[in-house]
Amino acid sequence: MYVYDTFDHAFTRDRIREFSDQVARRLSGELTEDQFKPLRLMNGLYLQLHAYMLRIAVPYGVLSSRQMRKLAHIARTYDRDFGHFTTRQNLQFNWIRLADAPKILEELAEVEMHSLQTSGNCIRNTTTDQFAGAARDEHADPRPWAELIRQWSSNHPEFSFLPRKFKIAITGADRDRAAIRVHDIGLHIKPQGFDVYVGGGMGRTPSLGHCIRTGLPGEHLLSYLEAALRVYNRYGRRDNSFKARIKILVAALGPEEYKRQVEEEWARMDRARVDAPQAEIDRLKTFFPDPTFNTAAFDEAAFERARTADAAFARWIRNNTHPHKRDDHVSVTISLKPTGLPPGDASSAQMDLMADVADDYAYGELRVTHEQNIVLPHVAKNDLYALYTRLDAVNLSTANAGKITDMITCPGLDYCSLANARSIPLSQEISQRFEDANLTDRIGDLQIKISGCINACGHHHVGHIGILGVDKQGIEFYQILLGGRADEKAALGQITGKGLPAEAVPAAIERVVQLYLKLRTHDNERFIDTLERVGRDAFAEALHEPA
Amino acid sequence: MNLPKPNSSYEPALVTRAGEVIPNAWQLLVDEDTTGAEGPYVLGFERALRDLDGLNGHYGVRVNPGDDVRLLEPFLDRITLIEVAFPGYRDGRGYSTARILREDLGYIGAIRAVGDVLRDQLFIMMRCGFDEFLVKDKDPAGAIAAASQRFSTTYQGAADSARPVWALRHGIGA
Repeated sequence: MYVYDTFDHAFTRDRIREFSDQVARRLSGELTEDQFKPLRLMNGLYLQLHAYMLRIAVPYGVLSSRQMRKLAHIARTYDRDFGHFTTRQNLQFNWIRLADAPKILEELAEVEMHSLQTSGNCIRNTTTDQFAGAARDEHADPRPWAELIRQWSSNHPEFSFLPRKFKIAITGADRDRAAIRVHDIGLHIKPQGFDVYVGGGMGRTPSLGHCIRTGLPGEHLLSYLEAALRVYNRYGRRDNSFKARIKILVAALGPEEYKRQVEEEWARMDRARVDAPQAEIDRLKTFFPDPTFNTAAFDEAAFERARTADAAFARWIRNNTHPHKRDDHVSVTISLKPTGLPPGDASSAQMDLMADVADDYAYGELRVTHEQNIVLPHVAKNDLYALYTRLDAVNLSTANAGKITDMITCPGLDYCSLANARSIPLSQEISQRFEDANLTDRIGDLQIKISGCINACGHHHVGHIGILGVDKQGIEFYQILLGGRADEKAALGQITGKGLPAEAVPAAIERVVQLYLKLRTHDNERFIDTLERVGRDAFAEALHEPA
Repeated sequence: MNLPKPNSSYEPALVTRAGEVIPNAWQLLVDEDTTGAEGPYVLGFERALRDLDGLNGHYGVRVNPGDDVRLLEPFLDRITLIEVAFPGYRDGRGYSTARILREDLGYIGAIRAVGDVLRDQLFIMMRCGFDEFLVKDKDPAGAIAAASQRFSTTYQGAADSARPVWALRHGIGA
């Protein structure tokens, strides 16, 4: 993974000193809360319902075991002994004291981490495929490019006060696991260069990104991004924060006109000032080599014995491993979605254990996924049973990756000052209803995504089943969306049927799922495929209690 | 409780990027004011576009966030000051305005930040090509000094002379 040099260290140090000074000025009253707000947001500090929340950047989701241990330490020392992994591949601490924030940032800097630009109207953490560098279907590693973007966007002098936040996602694989079509800018690395999608997003005005360029040479990626951001910075709406994302500008101008303006800006630009030279791109690429793979022959007989003897292990293998570019390795998903617990949460003890198993079986590397799970990208098949056994001991062996109980859920009304409705209790009830392993497996791949309000932090627009919490005269109601997906066939879900009270939702979901099981032509026809084949209307009735 | 005054409650003072507090000799002409002998004058954007062709001497121009600064290109040889307005510090359009002036249009006159200009913005303003600041702070010169020393490292090329880290790493432009 990327290793800071003296420049990176100096920058992080300078930034912490700046923020410490700002916190001191806020505590002394020299800065008003209104003046302090954009400054603290730029450093990842939110004022939530009950306390300050600190959001820590995990650049493109890549973590070392050493960094994971540091996060565990911070959870133990400054928070209530747990942390929450987010859909931005970041980590949030929900119970932070303002006065502790600079100290925490110093602790993070020791392990080359920070909380910069995890909120505020600036360029946020670039996200990518959690299996980057490991997946069998990948043709280019997105991580060096994500690091290039991280550096370019850090404290960018022109783009620190954008109309609204700005999120970039990048993938280098055939299957899009980074949801690039629902980002402000989505990048797809192809053999002939980058495809650039602009104007995707969720929130109150969901839209899919438009491809405005194909075959962009990597050495001009930064100048092209700079041109795209400049047009947005100058012409994006600022009169209404709900209409300030780039998707609104692209829709208002039309993708063709937006593209024309970007190309014009790009043509005028002195690109040599902006684009890092090939030597720097080559340097960044050297930080993401393969680990020195353990090449001991795969003992298939022993593996099969374990699989036969332990049905839970067999199930975990089936659901939580992903094909690796090497036949003797896999990528492993550690699910943070056990039944009945808040999705994405991990205790400090669990974080420590994940760091330990990463060292022992995964070359010290972990990833945070936008589905709020943890991935060990490289695990030798020989080590799988030992790894499973250790995860199982701390309740980290839930075998539901990609399954109906592997839900994306926003913090909801329990934590968030924006929410209209609770999300976490609802996801817990749904996961209890589908607790039966055989049923979950029979249903197969099905993504439920829950947002507690229209801001869509739980990505409900792109859930195969999306659930949106709304406030209806002081009562929590939920709208159900069907047919969304964030992959290479990205689509937005459509609201189906009438809104439901919380207590009716789990049963409604169950009826939809039962209908799917009845309608599917064979076991491998996924929910989303059946839905595409028969249409949403077939499911609308099932949402409501039979009269 | 006796709290220190919030930053923005100080009277604005004009300070250069070198940290020198200077008097402001320029006056802003509101729309139909006539130019007298006592100049120099800063013209509103629309008026500048309309009148600069027929005016002699040197003028300043006020650019508001929604104004397209590229329209000033034909007149830049008659402009010695451009005031870029920040009606609220969250409005970041002025940063693009300054960079376009410096890097695209090659403007070499003064660029002054006016409006809601606080010490925490000074560093990025300098990077975008601003060289004068009407800043609200109890210690304007100190605010400039702090901003100048704040970051030893910059990751990207901009309108100032700072070399991006990739140039330092690979010995480019030394």
